[in-house]
Amino acid sequence: MSRAAAEHDGSPALAVEGLVAGYGGVVALDGVSISAGTGAITAVLGANGAGKTTLLRAVSGMIRPRRGRVLLGGADLAGRSPEQIVRAGIAHVPEGQGVIPELTVEENLRVGMMSWPGVLSRASGSPSRNSRAERAAALDEAYGRFRPLADRRRKLAATLSGGERQMLVIARALLSRPRVLLLDEPSLGLAPRIMAQVMDLVVRLSREQGLTIVLVEQNARSALAVADHGVVLNLGRVVASADAQTLASDVALRHHYLGF
Amino acid sequence: MPVVEFLQFTLSGVVFGMIYAAIALSLVLIWRGTRLLNYAQGGMAMFTTYVAIEVVYRTGSYWAGFVVALAAGVVLGAVCQLTVIRPTMNKPPLNAVIVTIGLLILLEGLAGIFFGGQYRSFPAAFSITGLRIGTTPLGVSRFDVFVVAAVLVTTLALAAAFKYTSTGLRMRAAAFNATIARLSGIRVARMLTIGWALAGLLGALAGVLVSPSTFLYPNSMDAIFVFGFTAAVIGGLDSPVGAVVGGLLLGIALSYVAGYLGSKGSDLTSLVALGILVVVLMIRPDGLFSATKVRRV
Repeated sequence: MSRAAAEHDGSPALAVEGLVAGYGGVVALDGVSISAGTGAITAVLGANGAGKTTLLRAVSGMIRPRRGRVLLGGADLAGRSPEQIVRAGIAHVPEGQGVIPELTVEENLRVGMMSWPGVLSRASGSPSRNSRAERAAALDEAYGRFRPLADRRRKLAATLSGGERQMLVIARALLSRPRVLLLDEPSLGLAPRIMAQVMDLVVRLSREQGLTIVLVEQNARSALAVADHGVVLNLGRVVASADAQTLASDVALRHHYLGF
Repeated sequence: MPVVEFLQFTLSGVVFGMIYAAIALSLVLIWRGTRLLNYAQGGMAMFTTYVAIEVVYRTGSYWAGFVVALAAGVVLGAVCQLTVIRPTMNKPPLNAVIVTIGLLILLEGLAGIFFGGQYRSFPAAFSITGLRIGTTPLGVSRFDVFVVAAVLVTTLALAAAFKYTSTGLRMRAAAFNATIARLSGIRVARMLTIGWALAGLLGALAGVLVSPSTFLYPNSMDAIFVFGFTAAVIGGLDSPVGAVVGGLLLGIALSYVAGYLGSKGSDLTSLVALGILVVVLMIRPDGLFSATKVRRV
């Protein structure tokens, strides 16, 4: 869907309502509600321990929410397993070690297509051949978009640089054909120049592909520079939700919660 | 002649080494997926070998028993994982360890009840008469050649399946990084069940291959398990190639000990295996083939 069409749509691609989640006795999310507009970039900001990563983990099923709803196109996904949620159309790129270094670049990418419906679950046609051709085409498309990966497809992912690794995990997530992409600190540990490239990529995925993106970032300034909308969390609650420019120009909010 | 003797001991070591390699591989398969050492692996192999012997006696066909043993290994591995191991996941690691020890005791007890505690001989698929070149005995029989070939073919088939099939990639992804695998839509729990089933298959193979040389009784696989475990640790626990190399090294080393030291050597094999284990752990704590880095503290 083009971005123009997405803006006409108006409905959120992803809506989180009253989400409560935590670890053991600790409540990390205390009734969080956010909505991510279709084809838009929604930045989730806040200090360490605000609940940003927990929010993404609860949405993608890595932890089971205690209460609340996770709505994707009207269907409530709260409480489903990560395997079911990625199949429903939400891809989660966790922070840090997202590549599987023991696998080759191509194998990492093929892992991204594991959520596709299997040969047996297809109703008709000659599924096996179609599926194989489709997978090959999807891989080619990924290599077309991420040229450096094409050159290193047979190399172990362990040999990639930090920027290439981030490229690989995003490419892998895109191969699951998501409607919503959850990105947790994609710029973590990257050199400023590489970080800018990753942010450019995030913007292009949104603008050119109409992909709905929820971007968790410690670096609030660079996140707000690319986001359409921002949500600020503090101690597991939403303390502000507005368009990105409004948040970036709110001096008190920046001072209190965003650190710039 | 010393050269001939050396060759005989080496070849005989390779044969037993392949059996240790099969047990080591079965341990590695489970370790890679769950970081759990399956102490019941020997017990499972013993049990499926009893199933095989019953089939051989009832049908008169060695091969029927062989195939049923492998199938029983697959089923037993999967059933154990689904019923007693899966509930221990997400619990303290010691729980699963204790469950596998419990499983071992259970299987050995059940084998005693169902099949009796006496020593039983297990048939070999081929002649166990030593092969010769001219008049020189090689120290190995046709059946020994079959042992090596069977483990080799199974290992290569498994390696190819892991490398070239979609399920193989799923299993590797699940073993290396379960979080990423789940987020990519891989049913990690199912992959673990398949891992246990394949481990069961390898154990069953080792059981039917070693039993013609050792007799079969409820504890008959305990020593083989210890050697397989030693081989796996020598190889690095994480590495299938390491498991095979570890098995061969151990098999050959123990064969030299037993061969050159005569009857004293046979008694010393367990001690030597333990000695090798200690030395490897002191020099390379992660084994010879592990990629893991050790941090000195």
